[in-house]
Amino acid sequence: MSFQILLNVFLAFLLMFLTSNYTPSGFVIGYILGLISIIVLRNFFKSRLYITRVWAVIKLIILFIKELILANISVLLLVLKPKLQMQPAFFKYDTQLKSDWEITLLSNLITLTPGTVVVHVSDDSKSLFIHVIDSNDIDETIDSIKNSFEKAILEVSRS
Amino acid sequence: MKVNNVILQFTTKIVFFIIFFFAVHIFFAGHYTPGGGFVGGLVTASAIVLLLVAFDLKTVRSLLPINYIYMVAIGLLIALGTAAIAMFLDEPFFTHFFDYFYLPLFGKTSLHTAALFDFGVYLVVVGVTMTIIQTIGEDE
Repeated sequence: MSFQILLNVFLAFLLMFLTSNYTPSGFVIGYILGLISIIVLRNFFKSRLYITRVWAVIKLIILFIKELILANISVLLLVLKPKLQMQPAFFKYDTQLKSDWEITLLSNLITLTPGTVVVHVSDDSKSLFIHVIDSNDIDETIDSIKNSFEKAILEVSRS
Repeated sequence: MKVNNVILQFTTKIVFFIIFFFAVHIFFAGHYTPGGGFVGGLVTASAIVLLLVAFDLKTVRSLLPINYIYMVAIGLLIALGTAAIAMFLDEPFFTHFFDYFYLPLFGKTSLHTAALFDFGVYLVVVGVTMTIIQTIGEDE
C-alpha cells in the first residue's frame, strides 16, 4: 500500500517534469493521471489498491460519527429515566485484531461510544475488559461491536 | 507486576510528533506573537516527559542519548556568545542585529540574532527541566 502511494507521488513528479509545470496544480493533475494508470495496472500489485483502503477509512469515520450520535441519545434516555433499572457489569471481549494500532483504535472507538468503557487490555492483547452500563443486553453489545467497529477496522487493515 | 500499556504507548508514539511540532512552532512564533524560547523549551520537555511516562527511563535514554548538563552549558554559551558578538563590532553589549535575506524555500525572511539568543534559552530550559525530572526519577 505504501509502495503504491510512493509510486503515485513519483508519477505525479514525472508528469510535472515532462510538462515543465512546477506548480501545485501540475502536481494534482499528475497525481490523478498516476492514480488512473495505477488502477489500470491493479493486477500486478501484491496488495490491493490503496484507494479502496482510503475509502474504508472514510467509511469507518462515518460509522463512528453515526454510532456516537445514536449512543449519546440512548445514554440521554437512560439519564432522564425516573427509575434507574440499569445493572452495570464488566465483561471480557475477545478480539481478533492483532497489531497495536488496531487494538488502540478499537478501544478508543468503544470508549467514545457511551455506555461502554474499556478498562484494561489483557497481557497477550487478545481480549479487552469492558465496563458496560446496562448488563441486560451484553450479547447485543458484543454483537454490535463485532459487526460494526471490528469489521470496519479489519476492512481497513486487510492487505 | 507488568501491565499491558498498549493503548498508552501507541497513543504516545503519535502524540509525541504533534507536541514536538507545536513546540517548534511556538519557538519561532516568539518574535511577533506569544511564544518564545522558554515556552518552547517547556513544551519540548513535556513531550520527552510523556515518553518517560509511557515507556521507562532506560528506553528514553537509548532514544535520546543526551547529557542534559552539557545541554545547559551549550545553551548558556550560545546565549552569551550572541550577546558578545556586538562587543567585537564596537557596539554596546547585547546589541542585536537583523537583516533581510533571500533564502531558498522561504523567500524573503528577516533573520534576527535574538532568535539565536532564544535558542540558547530553549536549550537551557529543556536541559534544566530534564535534569530535574531524571534526577528525581532514577532515585532508587
